[in-house]
Amino acid sequence: MGNIAQRAKKATPTIKGVSSAVLDQRQLDLSGLNLLNNPPPKAEEAPKVTYARDKLLEEVRKSMEAQEKGLSLVVIGHVDAGKSTLMGRLLYELGRMDERTRTANERNSTKVGKSSFSWAWGLDGTAEERERGITMDIALQSFSTRHRLITVLDAPGHKEFIPNMISGASQADCALLVVDASTGEFETGFERGGQTREHLILTRSLGVAQVIVAVNKLDQVQWERDRYEDICILLRPFLVQSGFHPSKTKFVPVAAMLGVNLVTCGGDDAKQLREWYKGPTLVDLLDQLEPPSRDISAPMRMPISNIFKGQGSGTSVSGRLLSGVVQVGERVRILPGDETAVIKTIGVEEEYVPWAAAGSNLTLSLVSIDPVQLAVGSMLCSPADPVPLASSFTARILIFDIQVPIIAGAMVELFHHSRDVPATFSKLIATLDRTSGKVLKSNPRVLTKTSSAEVQITLRSSGPSATTRPIPLEPYAANKAMGRVLIRREGETIAAGVVMEILG
Amino acid sequence: MKLVNKHIDKHGTGHVTLRPEDDEDMWHLYNLIQEGDSVRAPAIRRVQKISSTGSVDSSRLKLNLTIKVTRIEFSSAARGASSDDTPGESPDSAAGQQPTTAALQLTGPVVVENQHVRLGAFHTLDIEVQRDVRIEKFEGWDSVASARVQEAIIPGKGAEVAAVVCGEGTAAFCLLSQHMTLVTHRLSVPIPRKAGSSSQHEKGLSKFYGTLFDSFIRHVPYANVGLKAIVLASPGWVRDSVYDYIVQEASRRGDKILQKALKDKVVRVHISSPHVHSLVEVLKSPEIVSQLKETKFAREGIVLDKFFKMLGVDEMRAWYGPDHVVLAADRSAIGTLLISDDLFRASNPVTRKKYVALVEAVQQKGGEVVIFSSMHESGQQLNQLTGIAAILTFPLDVEVVEAEEKQAAEAEQTQDSEATDPDG
Repeated sequence: MGNIAQRAKKATPTIKGVSSAVLDQRQLDLSGLNLLNNPPPKAEEAPKVTYARDKLLEEVRKSMEAQEKGLSLVVIGHVDAGKSTLMGRLLYELGRMDERTRTANERNSTKVGKSSFSWAWGLDGTAEERERGITMDIALQSFSTRHRLITVLDAPGHKEFIPNMISGASQADCALLVVDASTGEFETGFERGGQTREHLILTRSLGVAQVIVAVNKLDQVQWERDRYEDICILLRPFLVQSGFHPSKTKFVPVAAMLGVNLVTCGGDDAKQLREWYKGPTLVDLLDQLEPPSRDISAPMRMPISNIFKGQGSGTSVSGRLLSGVVQVGERVRILPGDETAVIKTIGVEEEYVPWAAAGSNLTLSLVSIDPVQLAVGSMLCSPADPVPLASSFTARILIFDIQVPIIAGAMVELFHHSRDVPATFSKLIATLDRTSGKVLKSNPRVLTKTSSAEVQITLRSSGPSATTRPIPLEPYAANKAMGRVLIRREGETIAAGVVMEILG
Repeated sequence: MKLVNKHIDKHGTGHVTLRPEDDEDMWHLYNLIQEGDSVRAPAIRRVQKISSTGSVDSSRLKLNLTIKVTRIEFSSAARGASSDDTPGESPDSAAGQQPTTAALQLTGPVVVENQHVRLGAFHTLDIEVQRDVRIEKFEGWDSVASARVQEAIIPGKGAEVAAVVCGEGTAAFCLLSQHMTLVTHRLSVPIPRKAGSSSQHEKGLSKFYGTLFDSFIRHVPYANVGLKAIVLASPGWVRDSVYDYIVQEASRRGDKILQKALKDKVVRVHISSPHVHSLVEVLKSPEIVSQLKETKFAREGIVLDKFFKMLGVDEMRAWYGPDHVVLAADRSAIGTLLISDDLFRASNPVTRKKYVALVEAVQQKGGEVVIFSSMHESGQQLNQLTGIAAILTFPLDVEVVEAEEKQAAEAEQTQDSEATDPDG
């Protein structure tokens, strides 16, 4: 079209010379076709790619060594353990929450008689969360310690919102477990069906290997050393059993509401603690977290965990870049679907950057895409190397402590990053030895608790008469972060697994 | 469905004339009619006549045709409505569809000649409501088929429960009747999570409630007296917020009928996931069980739940799979037989006979037989478990029984499994 318009422009002067009558006619004709007018402004100016891929990779490697290391941290624990309060207080102590917000939260929460939630309000933003006094969805914040740039995902502790918690934990490298030390509360959280247990297992199954345990509310038990030790003793074997290496688990006593032992262990409130505790503060421990190795040379993968209208034009999506690198101006494919979009800006921790590498939590502003094509759970990937779509696959699963055994055809929900879909165990292929992975029995009739098995999972249409939609999935061998799945049934997590092979 | 005429002799041969009245009746007919049966129903057929001068005269005639069925096709309304649920809302799809949307088509050669149609000419019958259908079974009327007719002619049905299964930003509208669950509408409204800004989240939420209310008005027949309950089911507290919104909106609009319906009929039930398959959880929740105790679909939900519970408690008393269940029946061990109507629809008459014999055997020994409708969620789940399962009265070890069986009649067993394989 642009070509014709150009030609038309060139043609006009010569015509002008000949006759004005003819000219008018011609111009009318052409204007009818809208050729002479300036071409309509393009919907979006798609920025250009600045780096070649090899160069970008080199750049990324260089800066990875130089910069302070970034990592993401999910805050987990039983409901009312004080996760949001701890994070709220920590953000304030580190200067990430300004004085005005703090006083506003304090004033407003006191007004409705919920002054004890004032710190949590820093993260629990929605009206319903504040009214109910619980976190319902993941809150994303960031702060920096001496050597680390930490993205915090504050997970909901309530049992109802485990899907949201899974979405958060799948975006994290490390975990901060908050347990309530007050009498009876720790026990409730740690019992069967308590979230301390379930969250730990879930995070481990999603590939998180490092955990810091913050023993909270110690002020309510008069800073008793015995209580702290007891909790550590109870938790340690469970952590090992869940697959956390003892060298990668740290314990720290804190009192979130008072702000004791978060950044410093000074002040009057901490007097009793200082008598027996000489160890590092929470921030010291956070500073020692080791970011896992990032897979930057693999193809780009980014599951969408949130979609919102950003500033200016375009649609913003946020999520964690699982592997590969991404830069402004790059074209990305959205799966499932046939659409592509162009990245206009990349936001990391409220700053715009020209590129980003695996492991960072990004907010991308996308242009030349209809927002209808984007859905939470969709995958952004490089157009040259799209993620395969699967509606049936085999997986090796580890079955948790369940009441009702699993039989072929059992109805479950499959969780993969921020997406959950109905599925069934279409075939029980074999039960495996938990340690060696050897086949114990092929074609078992049932799978009982705490066993390991290889199964075939098929996605199911929701409802008796709908079509199934495949989801983007990759074998664990090809991409670790893409190959992890969790399986839940009737509000209970029954198994975790890795994808072995995609069947179609 | 109305029974117009019935003539079955003691050997099971004979015919039944039925008059379908709604969607569910189509489903009954679909389950009654098998390949090979003769069906007589009104039809419109284009008939060509060549006159003596050679000119061709084509006309459409209303005829009664009898065909020998070779193909049966059934499609429910939901199939059409749910195939277009693209992300984003689609409030206009499936709008205003009311009574009959299910379609049943029978194809086969004409077996009774008449003046206009040659013998053996193929015809496809569109079964319509209020048009009599005469069915003559090729294999004769067995107990399951007769029971089905009895069940189908009980008057006073239609949708008994409307359910809205919702999650944050998603909702599915379902209508449950004795034998069918219809997903009449799905909607999904994107709600930005709180991470962005809180106002976007609230805006998304209010848009979701608004859309949901509009669809509620359109898809839930709340004014219908036959509707026993309106279930709002969701994880979390979405159902409460939705209920509050609907109540508020109803009073704002001054809709007295809606207000009354909301007060009398709405039951809020907790489920663990916002997918339609959670309807099973709805049906076994105490709120619903007390209200719908005697309905067939509630019974199905309870029995299936009992089976799963038994599987957890005593694996040796919960068996599934056709081969195993038949073995259990041979040992008179079956207390409750769960069987899907899918199996009776088997095109192979031998297979059907086998299942009919099984049902009769269990009933004779005082066992309970629950035939699940595969148009219900519970039936779908049973179908996933091979379509047949049993709760035994005493524990039996599958492996021991299999070994016994092997020793006793190895030859017979191989024959048995061969027969069940083709329809898997």
